[in-house]
Formats: sequence, C-alpha cells, structure tokens
Amino acid sequence: MSGQRSAPASAPVAPGASPAGSIYDLGYRHYEGRRHGPLYAAWSLYVESLRSVWGFGRPATAKAAPFILAGLYALPAVVQLAFSSYFAQAVAQGQNIELFAYDSYFSQFYVLILFFCIAQAPELVCRDQRYQVLPLYFTRAMGRIEYAAARLAALATALIIVLVVPIVAIFVGDVLMKPDTFSAIADELPKALPALPASLLGAAGMAAISLAVSSFSPRRAYSAIGILAYILLMEAIPAAIKAVGAGAGWSWSDGLSLLMPVSSLDGANYWLFGSPLPNAFTGNVAAGAYFASALASLVVMTAVLFYRYRRMPA
Amino acid sequence: MGAPPALESGEPMPLIETTSLTRRFGSVLALDVLDISVEPGIIGLVGANGAGKSTLIKILLGLLPQTSGRATVLGMDNLLETRAIRQVVGYMPEHDCLPPDVSATDFVTHMARISGLPRTVARERTAEVLRHVGLYEERYRGMGGYSTGMKQRVKLAQALVHDPKLLLLDEPTNGLDPAGRDEMLDLIRRTGTDFGISVVVASHLLGEIEQVCTFLLAIDAGHLLQSAPISTFTERVPVLSVEVEEGAERLAGALVAKGARAKADGAHVLIVLEDDALYDSVRDAVANLDLPLVRIEQQRGRLEDLFRDAAPVEASR
Repeated sequence: MSGQRSAPASAPVAPGASPAGSIYDLGYRHYEGRRHGPLYAAWSLYVESLRSVWGFGRPATAKAAPFILAGLYALPAVVQLAFSSYFAQAVAQGQNIELFAYDSYFSQFYVLILFFCIAQAPELVCRDQRYQVLPLYFTRAMGRIEYAAARLAALATALIIVLVVPIVAIFVGDVLMKPDTFSAIADELPKALPALPASLLGAAGMAAISLAVSSFSPRRAYSAIGILAYILLMEAIPAAIKAVGAGAGWSWSDGLSLLMPVSSLDGANYWLFGSPLPNAFTGNVAAGAYFASALASLVVMTAVLFYRYRRMPA
Repeated sequence: MGAPPALESGEPMPLIETTSLTRRFGSVLALDVLDISVEPGIIGLVGANGAGKSTLIKILLGLLPQTSGRATVLGMDNLLETRAIRQVVGYMPEHDCLPPDVSATDFVTHMARISGLPRTVARERTAEVLRHVGLYEERYRGMGGYSTGMKQRVKLAQALVHDPKLLLLDEPTNGLDPAGRDEMLDLIRRTGTDFGISVVVASHLLGEIEQVCTFLLAIDAGHLLQSAPISTFTERVPVLSVEVEEGAERLAGALVAKGARAKADGAHVLIVLEDDALYDSVRDAVANLDLPLVRIEQQRGRLEDLFRDAAPVEASR
C-alpha cells in the first residue's frame, strides 16, 4: 500500500514544532482553493447515497440484499428474453402465450420493489440518526432539506434502475421475436416509452413513502416494519371498508381506493400506458384519478420527510 | 507556547462575540445574558456538566437558535450568515458520530466533499489530516473496530479536513486514558499554534485547559464567571498564602477592609499579590490582631485553585 511509509526526510515541518511531536509532523498546508456551495454538497451526498443503496463502499454483505432483490425483480423478464426465440416459434405456430407486458409488470412483481425499499431505505436515513452523524452534515455547507432531498433522489434513482431493467429486457425480447428488427423497433418503442414516466413516478413514489416512514426511527428494524405496516395498512383498511361498502351499497367507498399507496401507483402505471385497468381494480374509479392520487402521495410523503428533517434535533 | 497565533493580517476582529446571549429550554435557563468577546487563539471554555458549554457551541454553529441576544463568529452573525460561518468552522461533537462500517478514509473524504472541497482535494487533504492526527494503516478499516482514542482522532480529522479558521471542540478528551489525553491535547496545541487555526476547547477539566489554552472562558449555570488570558491566572497574579494558627477569617476581613483581594481558606488566607506594599499590610494586620503567624508563602498556584477561589475573590473586591 502506498502512503504508509514514514515521511521522507524532506517533508516540510511546521515551524516551531517540538521534536517530541515529530511523529505526526509532516506539515500542514492551508487550503486556499475553491470551496463549492450547498448544491455540490448535495450532489456529493447524492452520489454517496446511490453507492450505498447498492452496498458500494460497504462490506460485501451489504451488496447482497439490493442486488438479489433487483435481480429477482428483473428475472422473469430476463428469462423471457432468454427464451424469446422459443416464444417466437410458439407464437408463429398459433399458440396463445401470455407474455410479460410493459404495463402490467409492476403489478405482478411490485412486492419485490417493496422489499427493496424495506431493505435499503433504512440504510439511507437510519444510520445517520443512529450513529449521530447528522450534526456533522448540518454544521457544514448543507441544509437539512438538501440532505433529505439528496437521500430521496438517490433512492428514487436506484429504484428507477430496478424498474427499468425488466422493461428493457421485455423490449429486447419483443424485438428479437419479430423477423424484421427495424420495423419491430419502430413498433415496440412507442409501446415501451410510457415506461419512462411510469418508472419515474413509481420510483419517486415508493422512495418518498419508504424514506418518510424510515426517517422516524434510528433503528433499521423498526423502520423496515414501519414501511411494511404503512403499506399493508393503507392497502388493507380502504379495501376492507370498500368491501363492506360494496355490500351495503355506499356510493362513496369506491373513492377510498385512492388512499392506497401501491394501488395508486399501479393504477397510474396503467393510465400512463393508456391501458384499461385490469379487473383487480374494483370500484368505479378512473385510471387518471389513480395518477392524481399517486402524485398526491408523492408530494405528501416528500413533505413529511422534509418536515421531519426540519424538526430533527441535531 | 507563545502568543496567540496571528490569523489574518492583524485585523482586530473578535473571534467570537456575544451580546446578552440567552437561551432558554422551557423553564431552564441554559445561557443567561452572556456577554463574551474573545480574540483568536486557543480558548478554553470551562464549566461543569450542564453549565451551557455545548449550548453555546451549538448556538455559534447555528444548530440551535438563541432565545434572545446576538452572537457573531469571525464577524458573521450566527443566524443571518450561518452558511458562511459553517464554511470556515470545524466542529467536533461531544458524542460518538462515526458510522462503524465505513473506513476513516472514506468517511473523512466524504465529509470534506460535503464541506465543498473538490473530489481530488478532498482525498489529498483527508490523507494529510489523518496523518496529522496520527492515524495510519487503520484508516482503511471500518471505524467500528477503533479504540476510543482512534475515534477521537477521526472526529478531530473530520473537523479539520476543510481547513477551517476556527475549530469548536466539545469535550475532545472524553473517554481517553491519560496517555491518549496528553496526545489529544498536544494535537490541539499544535493545531492552534503551528497552523494558526483558532480553537475553542470545551471541557469540564481545568487541568486540560491550563495545559493548552491561551485564554480562559469559564461559565457556570449560563453565567460568565471568568474571561481572561490564561497568563493572568498562572503568571501575573501571584498569590500570597498566609498561614495562621487561628483567626484566618479575621485576618482576611482586615485585609479586605484595606482594599486587598483576600479570602480565608481554612487556616490559610489567600491574597492576590498586587504589589510589595502588601507584605507590609499583612505584617501590620497580623500584628494588630495579635495572631499566631505560621508562615507567609508566595504561590504561583495552579489555575484550578485560583479558579475555585476566583468568584469569591472577585466578589470581595
């Protein structure tokens, strides 16, 4: 390793240094150069956060959870890609095969996204509380809101990557299944493109929910349970009331669907693809309303996260 | 140790200045109309636990707003120019603040970047500063396995890495063994004298302040007790200790009546020795009261003794 040898004899020694202290005396230089402002600090934190979501710069074990969960989420689409020539033949022979589609993939596998958030969101906001690192940030060129925003942006970016990989796999698979590649790309691209805003919304929405909930506890375990409890309760309670309301003929209970955080993201997903809502969406709620409620959830949870950091003692 | 280091080219700007600074936590008054003005140097901030040291530091950093009053750091208002202050101030908190699964190099580099240093500069300065605080091979390992002494060094390094003009150190020797304490104090002294960085050292141990500081601020229950150069205590105010077999209280009373700063302490009377005429006053007072005199001794008492007596002596002036 470099940099660990003892100092060269010519190392500058600070004037007035006592010989007894010479072990450490390799000189100290003042820094007169440029100092960047809060935006640079936020960018640095964003980059560091994005690395730590994936376990880079941490022990090898820290990489297991994010990579396994992201891999599992992409696996069905990748398998479909691997067997695309087989599927192409089968389709050509007139078999009716249900292939994974852009608009319903999130619906089918969102549980893995939820697990990803449960595993990695506490990593971003609990450690600094637990190990009391926050005062070091807040006494530097970084505001509390910038801190929270950088963490949020990093988790959202990580989730975008997770969400987009299987979409790309489906796209490539679908293109390979067709005989004419160029016309296939021209056909498939417009169908796949809504995945970009959909992934953006899905990633930001899930990131905001999981970070807002995690930020209330310095303990990973409690944060993880908190995220799970928030999602399950916010899905289950409106569903239960809706079920009762459907039996009793209440007209207002369908609107409760909009309180469900994951269902809202799912519905917004279909709306962005211009697809009809599948039968799982009960009640008379328009797909566009789910998009609006997903956006509202994103805004509210981001506000909760920022509020939490404004008030956090340091 | 020489005179306090000159920071910039001799502009007479106070390092820290507060006027009527008050901070209230509910019904508790943590800082009570505090007026402080200190010049650059190594400043010892002494007080018992709960005296208001950490509160003062947090207010200077803008982590806590004051209830009333003003505070400036290097001429900048703590509430209006918080960011500008933070760029030139390094803070070492009292508590643990190091994530265990990150190496010291990664952590300090990251903190340097949060302070606004470009990436390569952040790396270079991290290496330099970690060497300065005496951390070598260990710096590539996770900090969870560090000893308390190593952790304190990393905490100092992260406060120094962006080359601040002022370091605020909150109980930097907490939890260190005697050898570790001496090393930490030596580091602080060299940081202050060799690098021209002003340092505020908060501590409840006067002995430490005495070793490294050039200026003493003593607060108690949010009040300012003392604010003077250390030399005032250890050099320029020698103390005459007069031991009598009985009547120490009466002797002290007689001397105070003559305008001396005196205080009875058991069988001793401690008198601040302002000029040689004091010897005559003591002789006359002892003779007048007809007291059995044991000995007269000039002390250059330790700061600790003086400090303990400082408030009563002040009061009896």
